[in-house]
Amino acid sequence: MPTEIRNTPRAGHMLGLLTAALLSAALWPQGVAHADDPAPADTSAAGADTSATPAPESLEEVAGHVGGLTETVTTLQTDLDKLKRIKITGYLQERWEGSESDRDTVKAAGSPAAYTTFNARRFYLRRARFKITYDASPWGQMVLSADGGTDRPFRLLDAYGALYDPWTIEHHHQLWFGQFNVPFGNEIERSSSVREMPERSKAEGILFPGERDRGVKLQDQFGAHFETALAVINGGGINSADFPTTDPSAAKDVVGRARVVFGFLDAGISAYGGKQTTPLTGPEIETDRTRLGGEVQWYYEMPKLGGGSLKAEAYRGHNVNADSLSTLIAAPTSANPVRLLKPGADPGHIATDFNGGYVTWVQNVTERLQVAARYDWWDPNVDLDHDQYHRIGFALNAFYQGQVRVTLAYEIPTTERALAGGGYEDPNDNLMTAQFQFQF
Amino acid sequence: MRLLSSNRCARALAWLTCMVSLLAAPRAEAGRGVTIKGSDTMVILVQRLAENYMLANKGQIVQVTGGGSGTGIAALINGTTDVCMASRPMKEEEKRKLRDRFQSMGTETAVAKDGLSVYVNDTNPVKTITLDQLRRLYLGEITSWKELGGPDVPITLYGRENSSGTYVFFKDNVLKGKDFAPRCQTLPGTAAVANAVARDKNGVGYGGAAYAKGVRDLGLIPAAGKPAVLPTAATVKDGSYPLTRYLYLYTRMKPAGDVKKFIDYALSPAGQALTTKVGYFPLN
Repeated sequence: MPTEIRNTPRAGHMLGLLTAALLSAALWPQGVAHADDPAPADTSAAGADTSATPAPESLEEVAGHVGGLTETVTTLQTDLDKLKRIKITGYLQERWEGSESDRDTVKAAGSPAAYTTFNARRFYLRRARFKITYDASPWGQMVLSADGGTDRPFRLLDAYGALYDPWTIEHHHQLWFGQFNVPFGNEIERSSSVREMPERSKAEGILFPGERDRGVKLQDQFGAHFETALAVINGGGINSADFPTTDPSAAKDVVGRARVVFGFLDAGISAYGGKQTTPLTGPEIETDRTRLGGEVQWYYEMPKLGGGSLKAEAYRGHNVNADSLSTLIAAPTSANPVRLLKPGADPGHIATDFNGGYVTWVQNVTERLQVAARYDWWDPNVDLDHDQYHRIGFALNAFYQGQVRVTLAYEIPTTERALAGGGYEDPNDNLMTAQFQFQF
Repeated sequence: MRLLSSNRCARALAWLTCMVSLLAAPRAEAGRGVTIKGSDTMVILVQRLAENYMLANKGQIVQVTGGGSGTGIAALINGTTDVCMASRPMKEEEKRKLRDRFQSMGTETAVAKDGLSVYVNDTNPVKTITLDQLRRLYLGEITSWKELGGPDVPITLYGRENSSGTYVFFKDNVLKGKDFAPRCQTLPGTAAVANAVARDKNGVGYGGAAYAKGVRDLGLIPAAGKPAVLPTAATVKDGSYPLTRYLYLYTRMKPAGDVKKFIDYALSPAGQALTTKVGYFPLN
């Protein structure tokens, strides 16, 4: 049986065809005239118009044509090479979500009325994202990405430039500036287009809202197996409730990550130090924002089944606690439009010691299917009971043509809600998710 | 943490049952043969290997497609080919993308060696070039053959597209990561480069040794005072040719089934003998 040889159509071929077409166009009229012309006759006596029969082109003239065409093709090639430096990628995610806690109830409040719906069974557009990368190799690159979705308006996400070192071929030393993922742990840098579960772990979502921040980052690789990243950033992240675009404190937050990479086993530690400001009508409250994390990813292969992995991260540190804020600070109302610490409240309790993390197991089953299971937890105040969040989730991912992924997931959160008569209950809030993703 | 209620466990179990049922669905791709995509440099070799393999193994189908190493690696990552042929090693970033999707860094199998050749027209009087001169030539710093001991005529540079593994290998190992001169004309395959140089007495190109038909290889001088080395079986085998490289087959996982049979054939004495016939060099 003959081997099938196919060539992917490419710009180079197109240029080749263009060259051939231009060459044919340049030479064809003359060629036809020469072939079809009758034997030359003496037309001078009749005074015939000799311009009807063009004179044969000299070799120099043909060479001139070819030279001109070569110049045209070279110019086109140069333009094409410039365009090839721009890469556009993106993905679209539509999701159907169904929660145990939904109900067809609408709460109206205020004037004009604002409506709160409790229905949690819905279709929604989770993400529509574009990413543009300009490759300025060998010395750098620039990245812009933006997305929109049901939960947020269209907005800028990544916006950074990177300068490469000129002394290593793969540019192991890079300086980034702009808005980029905070270099803390493994999960933060993994896009939802490749993550196995629908959303990041609870702890990551709370500690790094929006995952990105503004500043500068130095990224280094030493040898084949050791990498570091050190960044100075505003702190708070681009989804910070109070300061998404500004930094209220002059001191910057510093974050670093060091890890060893062996391919089948990667492990690292991350550390973060900074200040967090809680704005009040009176003097603000400034607290420490510290995080320490450890991560490990182990990859293996199961014969006839596929690759698998076990990934885990754990974090601990000191952070402003949303539960404490709601307890200790009086929210502004129309009757009392100030945001103040409640009388007798201790500002030292606004930030608390936390811990959190996750363990995820992923197993590919053949090349088109993948199953995943995750346990993640978040304890916003290690000194308090009944405020912990635990979740177990399962997911099935099916892939098609390398561009389409369908995800089915079921997640079971466990929390404790205080009952009016005393005691606690775990609310019915399991979540089922079906997601369709198309990426290019 | 409280234990889950039996009701919630039942729901979770129902969900898992649904998943397992989907997993049990028959696979559409079963029995479609082995698909191989990637390096244009290797097409000439893997095509011959596939033809002979299929002759010796009735009923086996192997489809070979070019497109460049980069294209092949992208196809391996997005799951649209079983095997990728590459004339350069996979980059770390590409391995990480593969791992993100398949939880595996892929398996690399070297199937042949190649001496990346520098071609000139048969009529060109220049016989040798130093590695530094070659670098400056493709960076655009040397523009006339006179600077290399030839006539005072402009040099025409031919090269490959950036999806080519040969392009990347040359850029990394000769240009040390720097960009090719803008006037370097990029062509869609090594055969096209060799053909262009064969027709252009002022041309110079680079590519796999197996394509050096109708052109002449320049001897490469690794460093000042060292003798020039041509890409021959002996110099590629002992590594004295400065642009010696391996040609690879990549799979997502450790090769198994029909893919393993084909790779085993490529590594067998018969497969390695074909490597020599095609114009490349065996591993040992």
